Amino acid sequence: MERTEALLIADLCEGDETALAPLIEKYKRMVYRLAMQITKNHADAEDVMQETFLKVYRAIHTFRKDAAFETWVYRIAVNEALNFVKRKERRQERSIETIAETEFEAELRYRTTHANDPHVHAEKSELRRYVTEAVNSLSLKHRTVVILHEFEGLTHAEIASILNCSEGTVRSRLHYARKKLRTLLKPYVDAAAI
Amino acid sequence: MSFKCQKTKRLLSDYIDATLSERQMQDVAEHLDTCRTCKREAITLKKTCHLLENFYVEPEASDAYYVAFTKTLRQRIEQSAPTALHQRVYEISTRLTWQLTTRVRRYIDRCLPTGHISVRQKMLPYYTLVAAMMALLVAPFALKLGTSGNNSEHLLQRLYAVAKAELFSTSTPVSRQPSATLAIQQDTAAAQPAEIRRNVSRNRTTETPMVDSSSDVWQFTDEPMAEGYILTTLRKNSKRTPPSVALDIDSELLTYAELPNQAASREYPTAREVLTDGRYAFLLLQGIHSGQQALQQYQRKWSQIDGFPRKLLDVPLEILSITEVYDSIEL
Repeated sequence: MERTEALLIADLCEGDETALAPLIEKYKRMVYRLAMQITKNHADAEDVMQETFLKVYRAIHTFRKDAAFETWVYRIAVNEALNFVKRKERRQERSIETIAETEFEAELRYRTTHANDPHVHAEKSELRRYVTEAVNSLSLKHRTVVILHEFEGLTHAEIASILNCSEGTVRSRLHYARKKLRTLLKPYVDAAAI
Repeated sequence: MSFKCQKTKRLLSDYIDATLSERQMQDVAEHLDTCRTCKREAITLKKTCHLLENFYVEPEASDAYYVAFTKTLRQRIEQSAPTALHQRVYEISTRLTWQLTTRVRRYIDRCLPTGHISVRQKMLPYYTLVAAMMALLVAPFALKLGTSGNNSEHLLQRLYAVAKAELFSTSTPVSRQPSATLAIQQDTAAAQPAEIRRNVSRNRTTETPMVDSSSDVWQFTDEPMAEGYILTTLRKNSKRTPPSVALDIDSELLTYAELPNQAASREYPTAREVLTDGRYAFLLLQGIHSGQQALQQYQRKWSQIDGFPRKLLDVPLEILSITEVYDSIEL
C-alpha cells in the first residue's frame, strides 16, 4: 500500500529510512530545477541537491507537522543554493558561467541597440535561449524571486516565508527584476503580441 | 511625470499579478485609461511576463541522472551514519526520547476535550515558563523553610506558617524579588491563556507572519520573553546539550558547541548582509538579550553608519526565528 506524505514524514521521524526514497522521488525534480536555476551550474546543482536532501533527512524531526512540507523543502533548497553561490563568490571563484553571463549581457545589449526587428530573424529556439539567459543574468536576489514567482508559481507570502524577508521586499524585488528583464529583452518585448 | 503616474508605476507589477486590493486595482485601471505613457509601460511589462511564461526553458535532467543521484545520496547517508558505539547509543537514545515525547504529547492531546490548546512544541515553552515562574514564587518560602529551626512541625504546616509570615506580617517588610524575577512575573502575567492561544494560532498559520509598519510582530516577539531569556536559555543549553541544534542560519544548522566559535570568528556578520540571521545571531551572542534591544541596536547603527540598509521591515522576522530556535523545548 502506498504511504501518504504525512505518513512518510512520520515514519522518517521515527527512524524508518525507507520513507526517504519516496520523498526524494517526489521532490527531486523540483529541487534540481531550483538548484540549477540559482547556481546556473550542473555540478553545483548536484551538490546543492545532495545537501538539501541530507538536511531534510537529518532535520526531519524539527519539521512542524502543521506546516507545509513542500514549503519546508523549498526553503531548505533555496537557502542551500543561495549559500552555495554566496560561498563561491566569497572565494572569488569567478566561474566560466559568470564570464559567459557578462558576455551574454554585453551581446544582448548590442543586439538590443542594433537589431531592427529581431523577432523576424530569431527562431523560437533562439528566443527561448535569450529569455532563459536574460533570467540567468539577473542578480542572485532578483533571479531567485523571479524563479519562485514566475516559474514555481509561489505567492508573495510563500516566497517571503522561504527567503525569510518581508512581503514588501519580495514585491519590490519582483518589480525591479521585471523592469530589468524588460530592458534586456526590449526588442522582443516590442515585437511580442499577447 | 505626475505624482499619480509615479504611484501607478510602482503598483504596475502587482497590478499585472492582480495582487492589489480591489480599490487599488480600480484606481490603477482608471489611471491607465487616461494616461498613455503608463498604459504603454503596463503593456510592455505584461509582454515581458508573457515572454517569460512562454519562452523560458526550465532545466531538466534525465532519469538516469536521478537514479545515479539517488544512489550517491544513499551512500552518503550510510557513510554519515554513526559507527562508534557511543555515537550509536547517542543516536538511538535521541530517537527514542523523541518518539517517547511525541507519543506522550499525542496521548495528552487525545485526552483533552475538543477545542483545547494542543500540547505541541509551540506550547511547551509557555508551560515551562509558567512552571519556572511557580518555582520562583515558591523558592523564597522554601528557602525560609530550609532555614527555620523547628523540625518537629509537619512540612505543610511549616510552609503555611512561613507563607503567612511573609505575606501578612506587618512588622517585617515583604522581601523584594530580584529584578529578573519581576520581569518574568510581569511577562507571564501578560501572557494569559487567551493571549497564548492567539499567538500560537497566528504562528501556526504561517511560519513568518506578514510584517508591515503597523504590525505587532514585535509585541509578539518580545511579549512572552523575560528580559535576558534568550541569552539565559542559550547559556543553559550550551552547558546542558552542546551537540543539539541551536540555530538555523540560512538553513545551516549550528550546534550550541559551535556557536561561540562562530561568533568569535566574526564570519557571519562580515560574510552576509548586515541584517540577516547571522548578523543578529552575532548581536545576540554579544549580549543583546531581547528583540527590543536588538531593535535599539539596529536604530543606533542606522543613525551612525552611512549606507546602512534601511530594511527595518525585515528585522522582526530574523529576531522571531532566532527566538524560536533558541527555545530549549524546540530541541
